[in-house]
Amino acid sequence: MSNVISEANWKFHWRLTESAGIMIYLADYRGRRVLWEGSLPYVTIDHQHETLEVEGDPGDVHGPWWVPLGTRTLQGPVRVQSFRGGVELSAAFAAGPYNYTQLWRFHDDGRLCPWLTIYGPGIHDQHTYHPHWRFDFDLDGARHDAFERFEDKRWQRVEHEGWFPYSGEADDHGNVWRQIDFGSGAAINIRPHSWDDAEVFAVRYHDGEWAPYSPRSAAGVQTFPAAYVGDEPLDGDDVTLWYVAHVHFSQSFPYTAGPWVKVSGLGA
Amino acid sequence: MKAAKIANKHPKPAPARSGKTPLPRAAKPAATTADPDVTKADPKLFDPLTPGEIADALRTLTEDRRLGTMAKVGRYRVICTEPLVVKPPHWMAGHRLVRVVAFDYAADRTVEACVDLDAGVVAHLELTQAQPMLSRDEEALAVSIAMVDDRVRGQLEMGDVPQSTLHYWGRSPDDLAFARRSAAVVFGRSDGHASIVAVVDLLENIVTQVVPAELW
Repeated sequence: MSNVISEANWKFHWRLTESAGIMIYLADYRGRRVLWEGSLPYVTIDHQHETLEVEGDPGDVHGPWWVPLGTRTLQGPVRVQSFRGGVELSAAFAAGPYNYTQLWRFHDDGRLCPWLTIYGPGIHDQHTYHPHWRFDFDLDGARHDAFERFEDKRWQRVEHEGWFPYSGEADDHGNVWRQIDFGSGAAINIRPHSWDDAEVFAVRYHDGEWAPYSPRSAAGVQTFPAAYVGDEPLDGDDVTLWYVAHVHFSQSFPYTAGPWVKVSGLGA
Repeated sequence: MKAAKIANKHPKPAPARSGKTPLPRAAKPAATTADPDVTKADPKLFDPLTPGEIADALRTLTEDRRLGTMAKVGRYRVICTEPLVVKPPHWMAGHRLVRVVAFDYAADRTVEACVDLDAGVVAHLELTQAQPMLSRDEEALAVSIAMVDDRVRGQLEMGDVPQSTLHYWGRSPDDLAFARRSAAVVFGRSDGHASIVAVVDLLENIVTQVVPAELW
């Protein structure tokens, strides 16, 4: 099976990684570069204890854990399927009581859906999943980009690196964050799933800050991507975005986490 | 083999960061400079590594004098080798690069390297306290250690088998797994029901905790 797909106005490459699921790279929409590389570096899982006693609540006794989504946990082949108005890749991963289906869906209208369906019982009900997606968008080139978030009823420019949780505010299309290319005026719009409790980390791109092979940076310090966040300016540079969802397990599972991403301004 | 020397005249000005050190890079172009053309990147550079490329990268890495002690002691594991593609205008853009991650048990540290196969050198090397994912060997080792532990054996129920092995770290400094490389082995029935969790310290190769799954 070829790892280059040209369909639905998209041309992109894919490869199965050791730990970050299916990675998409060098993705073009209508012949214009949109994405250098996108992947799902990890899904961490936290456990909680159910108690009604506030004073006696020990909090989270244990730390998080995770297992790589990659060749060692893949169940069956990576599937490439066309659907009406687009094409999608999907792969199932299993690690004991945790099961995932990773999806990359490409729509002919410029939408891109990096999603993760989460299912399986876990070791008990009180647990929360934290899927982390990393996107290195190169909209019409790597530099001359800006990052904005929708706040106080309008789009506001973000000047420095940081952590930007979804506050409940969104534009008329539900978009909360966007990356804009100064040169072309094209934009990547990001709309979170309402129940993802999502947040975005915006970090200036640096060689050496590739998708890490673990969320764990060192004992007692911030995990990635928070450990990458400093105070560097973003305006006019190359920006890397991390989308993180926080999904508490419930009996209504399976649940599909992940944003809608829409490319706009690249013309017909 | 002599390692590549990289001039680092433009370090990243981010003292607040506790994360990884960025790769030394070319100077940031002035605002009027044309955007380096990332659209001309060669997709083949992203292709999976061949067995020969992996061997080449590991030979180059273990011959690097900065890792002489690690290679000599031989108490390390290669966690992962994957292709790496650097964007222009970096001087390594267009080179066939390999990202190698190893864990050095003797020094309790992670080795992360970028090996330039075209130049035959270790172009970038980081020695950190980060904890990379578990290697397949470590997963298997954790299971074998847990399976012979008396406390684990005493709590296993009929039909319990190792379900999965996860990379784990403790939240509190009181937890041995807070700073030490650890794995959590989940035991349970084949229908998915988990029974116990055994935490294995991979530096000492011992089980440090056995917890009923419902209390995890």
